[in-house]
Amino acid sequence: MTTYPILTVTTFLPLIGAAAILMLGERLARWIGLATTLATVAVSAPLYLRFDKTSSALQFVETVRWIPSWNVVYSMGVDGISLPFIFLSVVMSVLCVGASWTAIQMRPCEFYSTLLVAETAMIGLFAATNFFLFYVFWELMVVPMFLLVGVWGGPLRVHAAVKFLLFTLGGSLLMLVGLIALLDATGTLDFQALGRTSLSLELQAWLFVAFTAAFAVKVPMFPLHTWLPDAHTEAPTAGSMILAGILLKMGGYGLLRIALPILPDALQLFLVPLLVLSSVAIVYGAYVTLAQTDVKRLIAYSSVSHMGFVTLGIFTLNRSGLEGAILQMVNHGIITGALFLCVGIIYERAHTRDIVAYGGLVRIAPVYTTFLALFCLAAAGFPGLNAFVGEFLIISGAFHARLWLGAVALWGVALGATYILWLYYRMAMGETKPELREHCLDLDAREIAILAPLALLVLVIGLHPESVLGFLRVSVAELLAAVAAPSAGAGGP
Amino acid sequence: MTDLILLLPELVLVFWAVALILLARHVRHARSAAAGVVIAAIAAIGVGWVFSGDGPPTAFDGTIAGDGYAQFFKLLIASTLALAALLSVRHVDAERVRPAEFFALLLLASTGMMLAASALDLLTLYLGLELMSLCSYILVGITRERPTANEAAIKYFLLGSFASALLLYGIALAYGVTGSTSYAAMASALSERTLAQSPLLLVSIALLAGGLAFKIAAVPFHAWAPDAYQGATAPVAAFLAAGSKAAGLAALGRVSLVAFAPQQHIWAVILMGLAALSMAIGSLLAVSQSDVKRLLAYSSVAHAGYALLGLVAGTPDGVSATMTYAFVYAFMTLGAFGVVIGLGERGEGLAGYRGLAFISPVTAGLMLLFLLSLTGIPPTAGFAAKFAVILSIVREGHVALAVLAVACSVVSAYFYLRIAVLMYMTEPAEPAPGRFPAAVSAALVVAAVVTVLGGIFPGTFAAWTTPP
Repeated sequence: MTTYPILTVTTFLPLIGAAAILMLGERLARWIGLATTLATVAVSAPLYLRFDKTSSALQFVETVRWIPSWNVVYSMGVDGISLPFIFLSVVMSVLCVGASWTAIQMRPCEFYSTLLVAETAMIGLFAATNFFLFYVFWELMVVPMFLLVGVWGGPLRVHAAVKFLLFTLGGSLLMLVGLIALLDATGTLDFQALGRTSLSLELQAWLFVAFTAAFAVKVPMFPLHTWLPDAHTEAPTAGSMILAGILLKMGGYGLLRIALPILPDALQLFLVPLLVLSSVAIVYGAYVTLAQTDVKRLIAYSSVSHMGFVTLGIFTLNRSGLEGAILQMVNHGIITGALFLCVGIIYERAHTRDIVAYGGLVRIAPVYTTFLALFCLAAAGFPGLNAFVGEFLIISGAFHARLWLGAVALWGVALGATYILWLYYRMAMGETKPELREHCLDLDAREIAILAPLALLVLVIGLHPESVLGFLRVSVAELLAAVAAPSAGAGGP
Repeated sequence: MTDLILLLPELVLVFWAVALILLARHVRHARSAAAGVVIAAIAAIGVGWVFSGDGPPTAFDGTIAGDGYAQFFKLLIASTLALAALLSVRHVDAERVRPAEFFALLLLASTGMMLAASALDLLTLYLGLELMSLCSYILVGITRERPTANEAAIKYFLLGSFASALLLYGIALAYGVTGSTSYAAMASALSERTLAQSPLLLVSIALLAGGLAFKIAAVPFHAWAPDAYQGATAPVAAFLAAGSKAAGLAALGRVSLVAFAPQQHIWAVILMGLAALSMAIGSLLAVSQSDVKRLLAYSSVAHAGYALLGLVAGTPDGVSATMTYAFVYAFMTLGAFGVVIGLGERGEGLAGYRGLAFISPVTAGLMLLFLLSLTGIPPTAGFAAKFAVILSIVREGHVALAVLAVACSVVSAYFYLRIAVLMYMTEPAEPAPGRFPAAVSAALVVAAVVTVLGGIFPGTFAAWTTPP
């Protein structure tokens, strides 16, 4: 049926594109970037088309001997949880190339090859089925992100890049110790084999702290979120899109793939503090967002609040919450990516991110404001658009788990609608600023072509959520079974 | 006569050294001498490999080993020698050093390192280490016109002599306790003896550990390294960082695990202290350095700590991890020094790296690769090596040490990537550097290939290692 190792080809094709860009030079850089990302979408297509939604087993599995002395193999495969993220990664990469088409004039060769290396790291991370490979891609992601923010970012880019790097390295090196301790205790790093092992509660607790610290930095969970506004604000548009769209999801994905199924007893131990931190992230993040005057910073802080919803959904540990959390990660990737894109588009024209510099855009840029309105409404959780389904599932999961969680989540939704619609109001409505009229502000064909797929995804998932949820259902059920059954050795708290 | 087979690599190097000294008058250019040294190093690797199965297991009354452990370190030392020779070409010509002298000393120092790695007797070990050290003192000070080099050489010499005295005193006490200087005889004598019976044993172990720790620049015996590296020319510093560390680690491995096998737990405690201090202090002090050679010196102190972790574990896995670490470290540090050397004068201060990625992207890319590998970020060889040493100590239950190791890695990320930030995120202040000499480029390519392949196939080097 399959004639090529789909996951390996999908993962490493961008790397080949990166090498080609470096060899062929500046003139072709963006074209090769576009061709490579489109080709990656094409080669990954069989994954979605031939995926068996009724099976929770890993599919498209590839295994090659790698490091026998550590019992580490090169193994890739997808299940219902990883597949949506792979889809998101390949689509986002195409749009990132599109978003950078005219914005990146400085050293395009290096820019597009860095972007493509990041794509390899993203896809590889979601396709890896053992912890070692997962870690390699996890760390590989840090380097291109550091360069994207630090080289092509805004005025404070170096500070932002170094802060990002130290936060993530601090977290991930703790994960390395945990990973090594896990290998030492179980002799394997294969996710499925690890899920079947039973570790003592004490070891689980230590490992949980190590892993969750790493994931919490990436998500980011309150109070480890402080790198995010800086990195988001300073990153170039494509960098912000990858950060919001994919990188933050790596943390949530890590929780789902590692913390939940492998360490279920420790999870119960830390559940309440984690729920509290998630709630704090939702509400605190939302209030801080309200106070922002910089468009990019506003969206960045809104990510803290939205990712609070995601972790809340994960830690409700029920079907509705988990499915909602995964769906919401995909939604947040799409919507926030789109919002950063909108900000990037207007920044290219007006060269300011100050909200008060805008106003009355609706009169001079009707197409732009239509897209902006759609994405703002989606972010606010408007029914019929994608985030509504995700938030609904998370909130119903939260009410199901604990009443106060549901109340906090509702409060967060109300605040979320406030800040995002107020942003829209300040940018699109009111008096048109005279300096804005001087720039030709409405979208050109390229920009419409990048925004349209995202708008389409917002509508499709909003009207037919089953298109994503259908993939998740069986895998989430299996994950819940793994979490619910306390492992035999530990006895549970 | 068959005994000599085990010493063939050393003999090849000595032969070349003698030939160079005899022909000194006719050797005018560093290029030809360096080419000769590279050939000698390859020949040494070649004869070691071809005759690997032919010699006796030990030679000269059991003082020289021909095991896989010795062969691995000989391969490593010969590679270090070849790369260091390539890296030296420009400096030797520019500083008007006599090429024959310089390269003869390089060859003899390598011979000493090889002897130290294959010694099965404390006195043979001492001879090997002294040969290495005496040549190194001269190499550090070989640019006689430069006051900094003189100062560095004198400091290195004084501290080095002190360390040698410690080592010799330790050997004497060990002889007093066990009645022998041969590793095998010591081990069998020690197996019948507890520490309580002979407190001198502890003193002997401490002195030996101190003397050997000096050679790998482990804290608190590291004080020479920053001054010596900074004062010496960059190729000599690179050679010391890679070679001296390999020889010292080889010796420490054999002494702690073979000669003192019954007392291994005492060694583990001492080595643990050395490793923890080296990682922490090396990383912390590197943060504030602005001279790149000095920065790499402190980094070498920190890496001595990481490499020791495997010996702390003391298991076959651990030894293999330490050997892998020494191997990988040699190539990544030679690579980093290679970039410094290629850039010439500007490469020695941090400011010289400003905007390097804009004006010579390939150089900056290579430096980034070596820096990432030194930090231990996958998929580079440095990550695989770090993974191996940490795995070996976690298997022995030293989780706190593992956490300290990764915490120090975060600190080290800060100072390594500071160079990356300068290269990629600031505007260039100087015009583009000139073309690298072909020899330096060749060395950089070899180092980069090893750094990348070691990361993608982490099992490769581990497969070559055998415990003593």
